[in-house]
Amino acid sequence: MVLERLRLDGRVAVVTGAGRGLGQQMALALAEAGADLVCAARTREQIEATAEAVRALGRRAIAVPTDVRRSEQCDALIRACLDEFGRIDVMLSNAGIGDARGQQAELWDVTDEDWRDTVDVNLSSAFYCARAASKAMIERGQGGVIVNVASGTGLRGNPTGFAYGAAKAGVVALTKSLAVMLQRYSIRCNCIIPGFVAQAPAANQEIAAVFGARARYFPVQRIGEAWELGPLAVYLASDASSYVTGQGFIIDGGGLAGGVAPVGFAPEVELT
Amino acid sequence: MTVAEWPDAKRSLDAYDLSGKRALVVGAGSGVGRAIALALAEAGADLALCTVTTDGDEMVAVRKTARQVRELGRTAIDTATDASSGQGAQVMVRQVAKELGGIDVLVNAPSASGGFLGKPATKVSDAEWAKVIGQNLSATFFACRAVGKEMLKAEVEGRARGRIINVASALGERGLANASAYCAAQAGILNLTRALAQEWAAQGITVNAIALGWMEDSPALGDPTPEANQTVRYIPMKRAGRPDEVGPLAVYLASDASGYVTGQVLFVDGGLTVHL
Repeated sequence: MVLERLRLDGRVAVVTGAGRGLGQQMALALAEAGADLVCAARTREQIEATAEAVRALGRRAIAVPTDVRRSEQCDALIRACLDEFGRIDVMLSNAGIGDARGQQAELWDVTDEDWRDTVDVNLSSAFYCARAASKAMIERGQGGVIVNVASGTGLRGNPTGFAYGAAKAGVVALTKSLAVMLQRYSIRCNCIIPGFVAQAPAANQEIAAVFGARARYFPVQRIGEAWELGPLAVYLASDASSYVTGQGFIIDGGGLAGGVAPVGFAPEVELT
Repeated sequence: MTVAEWPDAKRSLDAYDLSGKRALVVGAGSGVGRAIALALAEAGADLALCTVTTDGDEMVAVRKTARQVRELGRTAIDTATDASSGQGAQVMVRQVAKELGGIDVLVNAPSASGGFLGKPATKVSDAEWAKVIGQNLSATFFACRAVGKEMLKAEVEGRARGRIINVASALGERGLANASAYCAAQAGILNLTRALAQEWAAQGITVNAIALGWMEDSPALGDPTPEANQTVRYIPMKRAGRPDEVGPLAVYLASDASGYVTGQVLFVDGGLTVHL
């Protein structure tokens, strides 16, 4: 049955950036589908909370504090997963910083350090994790799945945010090369490309007003909610997507398909 | 530290549940059309299944799909029309909407039947061009238009007023010699999908396309084994796709969980378009 192909029972997933927002919601969705979880991020308290929520769903989970900008820490993350669970089936590289260093700066004010740090956290992290995780998957010989998280920012030009856009475009290209290279080991690799998605429900009126103001730029007239990435992550992590590899799945309320601009200048819809 | 609570969140596999949804599949006699119909039924949807042509063999194939859906315990009505006729599509859709009490999901799968022609552009007649465009692109538009009217009329609470899924080919993004009309029709379906997504997004209707690579039962592929087939050797996965591998994505796109995905072309192609 089709819904059973979405199940992840007995699988082990490593999720970076799992302490909050999109990563946390995707981690919980994978757990709901049956996976055991390794939750990684820099802040221990946050990933412990996610791991605790996963355990409340009846799955096993560990929290491994990790700075994904450091390749040796990514290697250690995969080792911690193997030590605890003996296998890794799903590598979900979600870690990234949307308002990373130099993001809003003028071109000439972006320092070398801003550039490197933003590329490291948003792009190099996905490479380090894919390299380490695929090695473990290949040694075990039963295939696996890699899911990266890019951003719509990587598909269009923007007057600021050079490093972030370039890094996220890099994630899309990295995903394609990984897919072509790793298919011979039955490892699929895809990426999710979110548009403007709220990390958490609006905590106050001020934030709600910002969300509301943004909504008119998206054809569906609202911004995305972090939980909406969960079902998509489950699809890509499971056997349900067995013939899908190298793809970028855009989840953006229709923005990029039409060109993100204020909605409302379309001719009125008339029904006859 | 706590975990964010979203009021509308659907995280469990219930997110994909289609119980109570009514879906129309046009082109339900082909391998992929049938696989999608069965996947939607397994997820709980009731179905109307329609042909693309009034060809007798296609009708028989659609009836077979309907029987298989009923064996799963779901409702299935079968019907035949010339989908390349706007009026034919309109009459069929009205009838289906009446019988099912509405239409929540439309799947257009006319292209899965082929129509490559397989001849040089200089040898393609006006009639052949019109037939390929008609049965692929025009049929998709006419069904979208007719079902769109029904969906926009419906009184629906929440965000999921309707879901439209156009099954197309990766040849909408790549050119293939001796298949000019088919390539043009497929590209048309992909950008029709993006345009309709813009037009109906605010009304809660999402429109997406699934672009297929080489499928095992594609008439133009021939023997699908890599040993015999040079084309298959160029696919990163080194195999053609099976129709049942398309079903789960259709279920996702038909479900309430995909409300923020619209205007997209999603490739189920074994990595073909990533590499080539």
